Amino acid sequence: MSKKALVILLALALVFSIFGCAQSETTTTTEEETAATSEPIVIDGPEETPFETMSPDYEDKLGITILYEQDDAMINNYTLLAVNEDAPFVDLDGNAVDDVAINTVGAKALIDWMLSDEAAELIGNYGFEEYGEYLFYNKEDRPVSTAEIPQATDETKTIRLSTTTSVNDSGLMSYLLPVFEDEYGYEVEVLSAGTGKAIAAAEMGNADLILVHSKTQEEPFVEAGYSKVLDGYDSERLTFMYNYFVLVGPKDDPAQCAEASDVKEAFQRIADGKYPFVSRGDLSGTHTKEVSLWPEELGITTDAASVADYSEWYLSSNAGMGVCLTMANEMDAYILSDKATFLTFRANGGNFE
Amino acid sequence: MGTALKKAFELLFSNDGQLWNIVSVTMQMTLTSSVAALLLGVPLGVFYATSRFPGRKALIILNRTLMGLPPVVCGLLCYMLFSGVGPLRQLKLLFTVTGMIVAQVILLTPIVAGNMETYLSGIVGEIRETARGLRLTRGKAFLLTLNESKYALVSTYLFGYGRAMAEVGAVSMVGGAIAYKTNVMTTAIMMYTNMGDFTLGLALGVLLLAISLIVNITAHLLQGRRA
Repeated sequence: MSKKALVILLALALVFSIFGCAQSETTTTTEEETAATSEPIVIDGPEETPFETMSPDYEDKLGITILYEQDDAMINNYTLLAVNEDAPFVDLDGNAVDDVAINTVGAKALIDWMLSDEAAELIGNYGFEEYGEYLFYNKEDRPVSTAEIPQATDETKTIRLSTTTSVNDSGLMSYLLPVFEDEYGYEVEVLSAGTGKAIAAAEMGNADLILVHSKTQEEPFVEAGYSKVLDGYDSERLTFMYNYFVLVGPKDDPAQCAEASDVKEAFQRIADGKYPFVSRGDLSGTHTKEVSLWPEELGITTDAASVADYSEWYLSSNAGMGVCLTMANEMDAYILSDKATFLTFRANGGNFE
Repeated sequence: MGTALKKAFELLFSNDGQLWNIVSVTMQMTLTSSVAALLLGVPLGVFYATSRFPGRKALIILNRTLMGLPPVVCGLLCYMLFSGVGPLRQLKLLFTVTGMIVAQVILLTPIVAGNMETYLSGIVGEIRETARGLRLTRGKAFLLTLNESKYALVSTYLFGYGRAMAEVGAVSMVGGAIAYKTNVMTTAIMMYTNMGDFTLGLALGVLLLAISLIVNITAHLLQGRRA
């Protein structure tokens, strides 16, 4: 009885794998044919190593593209904040907790390194090879550190960094951090979530430092005493790099956002024509930026109730940037994205194959 | 789909450190948590089915409610408990594999216990009679019960193991999906989807199913040999 079942199972497995091979072979041929007849180069070569799938010669398979960028109102500043170990931490019932473990030494080491000239050079060059564009720029007036960075000890080894999704999903963190870890022996645990969640994690004592991009959310965090000024710096908020938010939308651009004279006018056009717009809706830095760009008379805020009247065209999705970009692509909708995530998303294919 | 399958095969034969780390963390988490849930849940299920005391029905209803505990709620609960300001902060379990295992055991134990209770309630009369006839001690009666439910034990275990493999809501909250530490197959699939790499996500999904297939074949062989 059991042997019979086993034979059936193995036969199924065999059929499955043969089917798999045959299927992939036919796909390869069709891809080659496409490549021969049209210019775009197919990214899926067998010689390619997995987990490093980016290539500058990607084929743009998306229906959405960047329509509006490089506006002063669209600057996206990234800020490092060290978590204060003496912050007024409270538990769920509001009782003070004074023994929250925060690795301040490790956080300072990582911040000192991130603000060093070595890191600045790496950040400034990141992405050009893979995407043909720079994804992040160093701020000219950024705080520069020349402090000596101590080697890791057993107590300071693990650093918990809570970041916004854009710096992680764009690959910047996995590109920068190994250099720091190899040099000084630390282990950086990266938690990636929207700015709102990253800040909430720090307020619950689950991060040693945060890397976020929303001034309006960073300021209350600092005012409440959750961050502190490290030795050698003037401010809790260490704004060190930037890139741009971009307005992404359908290639045929029915709202004609590409011709708008400024970004607010582009948003006005979307609202006037009630063209579908996908909002992150998750209190991320991108979400806070987006709500500041709509015409004031609409009264759109980060509160979901404020957009209830616009639900026919304004989609508050409460999801990560990638998921929202997929939605926008499927629905031919407009969306605000940070440029780095959009370029990575597009290079990765961004849809099913 | 074709590209995803091809990529799954490429991944399988590649020497990618991150992939094998994800697979080993997944195996470590699912095997430990499902075995622990089995060790806790089976005696509990036998207890539910065989003992008689006031409040037993209420306990069974409570257990059935916990069988439907949404994983995200369990994840949130563990997150709050293990959080830097939570009551169990000294254990330092947040964002560790051990923390993920704890969350999984909380989810799986009621399921194992409930399944055992359902199965045993059908045969408990006969077992009790046999035990009385042979004048078996409590411990021996327990062993007899286990012996009578071998088949159900294996299928219950596999059910629990499958749940542990498929789980994403709780482990992503408690584990944080930290690369090279707590990133498991399901959270990695979410991560690659969020980066727009659907193909790689799907390829990982194919591998996940393949691992499940191997585990099920092994269990089937064990089951066949004993039955």
